[in-house]
Amino acid sequence: MSLVARCQKVAIALSVMITVSGCQSTPTSLYHQVGEQAGLERLTDAFINQIGQDKVVFHYFKQTNVSHFRTGFISHMCAVLDGPCQYQGDNMVQIHTGMNISEYDFNHTVDLLIAAMNEVGISHPVQNKVLAKLAPMRRNIIKI
Amino acid sequence: MPFYFKKGCSFIALSMLLIGSVSIAVKAKTLTIVDQHGRPVELAVIELLQPVKNDKPLQVAVMDQVNKQFEPKLLTIVKGQQVAFPNSDDIRHHVYSFSPIKPFELKLYAGTPKAPLTFEQSGVVVLGCNIHDSMVGYIYVAQSEAHFLTDVQGKVVLPDNTSSYLLWHPEQDKELGERSEHIWPQDNSHSKVEIELVTPAPRNTFGEMFKDSHGN
Repeated sequence: MSLVARCQKVAIALSVMITVSGCQSTPTSLYHQVGEQAGLERLTDAFINQIGQDKVVFHYFKQTNVSHFRTGFISHMCAVLDGPCQYQGDNMVQIHTGMNISEYDFNHTVDLLIAAMNEVGISHPVQNKVLAKLAPMRRNIIKI
Repeated sequence: MPFYFKKGCSFIALSMLLIGSVSIAVKAKTLTIVDQHGRPVELAVIELLQPVKNDKPLQVAVMDQVNKQFEPKLLTIVKGQQVAFPNSDDIRHHVYSFSPIKPFELKLYAGTPKAPLTFEQSGVVVLGCNIHDSMVGYIYVAQSEAHFLTDVQGKVVLPDNTSSYLLWHPEQDKELGERSEHIWPQDNSHSKVEIELVTPAPRNTFGEMFKDSHGN
């Protein structure tokens, strides 16, 4: 194979890789590290189960449509963790306005999410990165 | 003495007049709706098939959201009437209808009212909330003002000229919008009709999914 041909092959391979990563996620994105769509689905189902078994925050969710929450949570996490999704649901302020969520209840819900991440085997370094991405939303969720 | 007699006469005449009007009010038909177990059925809609002319302007009816429930659960209106959807809760709701006579969706954020909707076609509209699946409500759009609701005893008093009517209930064992037609039994002032009700399907909520962990 000539050098030119080899170069062309490499270039094609590279462009294919870029195209693929553009459609899905960069190999280093947090979305990728939590297992992409399937990983987020497992995490969300574990989180729903954690909330369902919980006594402290269950009342916030009791009348909530599970499918609506599941779809919205997966799509939101996908977007926040730099996955290929555009979250089109209501923003965090719209969702939590009127709930008057205390710091205690907020922190407790974060603990439930951590328990869910442990359950589906997300490593602690990745968990920390996920929590760092979510942390700025806190002020748009509590006490409103 | 003639004076007293006259007064006595007018008193009797007045009494007769009153009795007359009372007997007109009493002269009505009573319908009782029971379920397959003989229990009284509240909130059944009875709509008379004789149209009634309506000269009154139609008020804007209200379907409110209170404690994550529709209030009232069943609203009856007349076609052409408007319905406002306020939100008395502090949290958001996302009300929708897939019913063919009036499909719509309304995002109701606390403190941001939406314009009332007009219901032009008669029939049944089922309401839900995308966010809170425990919320189920109904709007019954009648042809005319001649529609009535049964009380807790399953009873409703109908005009004496009632000859036929439509019957509907949210939990009837039929297509949701289907209304059954009934003929009033001749020479009867009372009638009892049995309808089959079904338990509503469980809702897609955390409460339903995890009820074993929390009870109801």
